[in-house]
Amino acid sequence: MAPTRMASKTISVNENLNGISHGITTRSKQLASLKNYKDNLKAPNKRKADSPLKDMTAKRAAFGDITNAFNKSSANHDKDKVMPAKKVTVESKMLPTVKSIKPQTAAVNGKASKTKQLQKAASNAIESVQKHFAKDPPKVVATRSQNGILKNFEKKSLGKENQSQNSAKSAKSDVSEPSLYLTALENISPNETTKDGYKVISEKLNNVNLDDTVNKSLDEETCEQHVVPEGVSDFDKENWNDPTQVSNYAMDIFNYLKSRESLYIIDDYITRMKGITTWMRALLIDWMVEVQESFELNHETLYLAVKLVDLYLTRSSKMLPEKEQLTKDDLQLLGASSMFIASKFDERIPPLVDDFLYICDGAYPLQKLLAMEIKILQVVDFNLGIPLSYRFLRRYARCARVSMPTLTLARFVLEQCLTEYALASRSDSKMAAAALYVALRMKALGGWTSTLEYYTGYMLKDILPLVLEINATLHKKPKSAISTVRNKYSHAVFFEVAKVPLVDDAVLSS
Amino acid sequence: MQKYEKLEKIGEGTYGTVFKAKNKETHEIVALKRVRLDDDDEGVPSSALREICLLKELKHKNIVRLYDVLHSEKKLTLVFEHCDQDLKKYFDSLNGEIDLDVVKSFMYQLLRGLAFCHSHNVLHRDLKPQNLLINKNGELKLADFGLARAFGIPVKCYSAEVVTLWYRPPDVLFGAKLYTTSIDMWSAGCIFAELANSGRPLFPGSDVDDQLKRIFKLLGTPNEDTWPGVTQLPDYKPLAAYQPSLGLAQVVPRLPARGRDLLTRLLTCNPALRMPADDAMAHAYFHDLNPSVKNDRC
Repeated sequence: MAPTRMASKTISVNENLNGISHGITTRSKQLASLKNYKDNLKAPNKRKADSPLKDMTAKRAAFGDITNAFNKSSANHDKDKVMPAKKVTVESKMLPTVKSIKPQTAAVNGKASKTKQLQKAASNAIESVQKHFAKDPPKVVATRSQNGILKNFEKKSLGKENQSQNSAKSAKSDVSEPSLYLTALENISPNETTKDGYKVISEKLNNVNLDDTVNKSLDEETCEQHVVPEGVSDFDKENWNDPTQVSNYAMDIFNYLKSRESLYIIDDYITRMKGITTWMRALLIDWMVEVQESFELNHETLYLAVKLVDLYLTRSSKMLPEKEQLTKDDLQLLGASSMFIASKFDERIPPLVDDFLYICDGAYPLQKLLAMEIKILQVVDFNLGIPLSYRFLRRYARCARVSMPTLTLARFVLEQCLTEYALASRSDSKMAAAALYVALRMKALGGWTSTLEYYTGYMLKDILPLVLEINATLHKKPKSAISTVRNKYSHAVFFEVAKVPLVDDAVLSS
Repeated sequence: MQKYEKLEKIGEGTYGTVFKAKNKETHEIVALKRVRLDDDDEGVPSSALREICLLKELKHKNIVRLYDVLHSEKKLTLVFEHCDQDLKKYFDSLNGEIDLDVVKSFMYQLLRGLAFCHSHNVLHRDLKPQNLLINKNGELKLADFGLARAFGIPVKCYSAEVVTLWYRPPDVLFGAKLYTTSIDMWSAGCIFAELANSGRPLFPGSDVDDQLKRIFKLLGTPNEDTWPGVTQLPDYKPLAAYQPSLGLAQVVPRLPARGRDLLTRLLTCNPALRMPADDAMAHAYFHDLNPSVKNDRC
C-alpha cells in the first residue's frame, strides 16, 4: 500500500514547525511487531471477555459505544498514518530527542521512522487508501484482524456493529436513518417508548404525602425542586421515564459539577516552564487524541487526561522544587500516565499498563510510568472528579435538542480547542456553551435561546468573548503536525463536520 | 506511617487489609486500609483509585470519611474514620428482635447517604450489611467504595459483575450492563427487609439461578408486560412463571403497612419503576421518624 512504501524512507523536512519527527513504522511491520509485542499480553483476552450486548436495555449504550467502534474503523483507516506507537519528538532544540525503542521493535522502528511531514506528504495516498477502505470495509477488517492487538479491537467493533444492527432492528423509535449509521450515534431524541408505571407510582406517592403533614424542607439537601422558567422546555421532565437520563438527579449533578469548576484552576503555567512550550503541549495533546482513537477510549477519558496534564503542570510548577520539575523529555510520559489514570477511572476495561508503554514506543520503562502515575495523583491530590467540557456539552445539546450532526460539530470545535493552550484555563461549562453556540451559528441554526440560557446558566454576553477566541482558534491555519482532530472529524461517521465552513466573527456577534 | 499505631486487623476490603489504628498525637482511632503497589503490576488498582477519588468528594454524615492518603514505598495507606462495627456485626450482636425505630432510623440514613451519592453522580454498586458502618451514636455510614464509580448522563454500559449476589437486582442478574442509580435501590430494599427481620437475609441465593428463583417466588416472575425489554437482556432465561405471592406481610411480619409499601417500591424488578432514594426518603413510612435523625446534617 502506498503509505507503507512511502513510509520506509526518511525525508527531512524544513518547515517552520521545527522539524517534528515521529518514529513511525510501516503499517505492516508495525502490525507484525505489535503482534509480537502483544502476544504475551493479557489485554486482548481481557477485551474479548467484554462480550457485546444484544439486549434492548443496552440499546442506548450500544448507540453510545458504537461511536467508538465506528470511530475506530475510521481510525483504522487513518492508522496507516497515525499509529499511536510513536514518540512525540522534535529536533533537539525543541522537544525530546528520539528515544530508543523496546528491543523487539527497535530494529523495525528504527528503519522505518519517518517524519510527520512525510506523513503529510503521503496524505493524498492515504486518502485514496481510506476511500478504498470506505468502499470495502470488510476487507480491512479481515486483513487487520489477523494481527495482534488490533484483532480484538476489530472483533469488538464488529460485535458492536452486529449488535447495533440487531438493536436498531428492534428499536421502534427514532430510527429514520440507515441503522448502522444511526447506531453509531447517541440517541439524542427522548425515548418515545415511555413507561408510565413510575409516573403513576410517583403520583400516588405524592398523594400520600399530601395527606400527611410532612415537612419536606427538612430534606431539602436532596429533595431540591428545580422549577423551569416559562418558555423553557423541561428536558428532565420530558425524559422522566427514561432511566438512562437519570432525570431526577440530572439538574443536581450538573449544578454540582459546575460548582466544582473553581477547584481545578489552570493558570498560565507555561511562563514558569523551562523548555516546555505551548507548541509541545499541542503536539502532546494531538498524540493523546490518537491514543484515544486507537484504544477506543471514551472521550471523557481523553478530556480527563488532558485536564490532568494541565493541572499537573499548573500545580507542580508551583509546588515542586526546581529539580523535580517536569522536563520536556518527560512530557510524553506525563501524557501517557494521564491517559493511564483517566482510563482506570472511567473505562469499563482500561488498557493495560503495557499498552501505554507500547504507545510511547518503549521510551519509558514501567517503573517510570508507575512513578509518574503516583506523582500525578499526589499533585492533583487524587481528585479525579474534574468537571469536563465534554460532559457539559452533551447535556446542553440534549436540552436544546440539537441534532446529532450539530452536536458532533460542537464536539469537533471543542476538541480542536484542546490543543489550544490559551483556552486551557477557561471554564469547562463555558467552553461547552461557547462551542455549542459556534456550532449553531456555523450551521445557521439561530442563536442563543432561553432554554440554553437556563440550562447553561450563561447569557450570550457571558460567553461571547470566549466564542470569539474559539472562532479565532478555528480560523488558524491548519498545521500538519496537529491534524488528528481534523482528520478524525473529517470522516463520514462524524458527519464530516470538519468540513463545515467557518463563519466570520460578525456572524457570531449578531 | 509513624503517625499511627496499629491496633488490630478489622477485615478485608475489596482490595487490601483494613486495620484499626491510633493516631499517636491526637489519640484518635482511625481505620487504615493498605493498598500494595507492586512494580510488575498495573500501578494503583482502579478500585482503589476510584474509592479514593470518590470518597474525597463525598463528604456526608452518612458516608464514611476518608481523612488522608499516605504514600510510601510500595504502598498506599488510606486513613478512614473509624466506626465501631458494621451492620452485619450489629445483627450478630442483637439479643432478640431489633427495635423498629432503629430499623426506620438506619433505613433513612442509608437512603440519605445513597441520595447524596446519586446526586453527586456516584453509584455504590456493593451495598450490603458488611459495607454499612454503625457507630455508638446510632449513625449509619456507607463504606467500601471499591466497586463504586462515577456515572455520566446518559449512563453508559458498565460492568455487570457488580453487587454481592444476595443484593444484586434482577436486571443485573440477567446480565444488564446499562443500569443506573436503581442498582443501589434494589440492594437498599434487600437491606430494609433484612433490617426488619433482625438480620435474616431476604434472598440468600446460592447461585444466579437460585437467586432469581427466590426473587420471583416472592415478587412474581416478570414478563414483557410488567417489564418491557426483560426478555432481551443478555443473560435472560425463561424461568417458571411464579405469581406474586403477596406474602410480604409474612416475609416481613414486623414491618408496618407503610414500611411494606416502601419495600415493595424498592423491590421492583423493573429497574425503570424502582423508587429512587430521594423519593424514598419522602415516603410516608418516614413521617413519624424521630426528628433528630431527620434534622441531622452533615
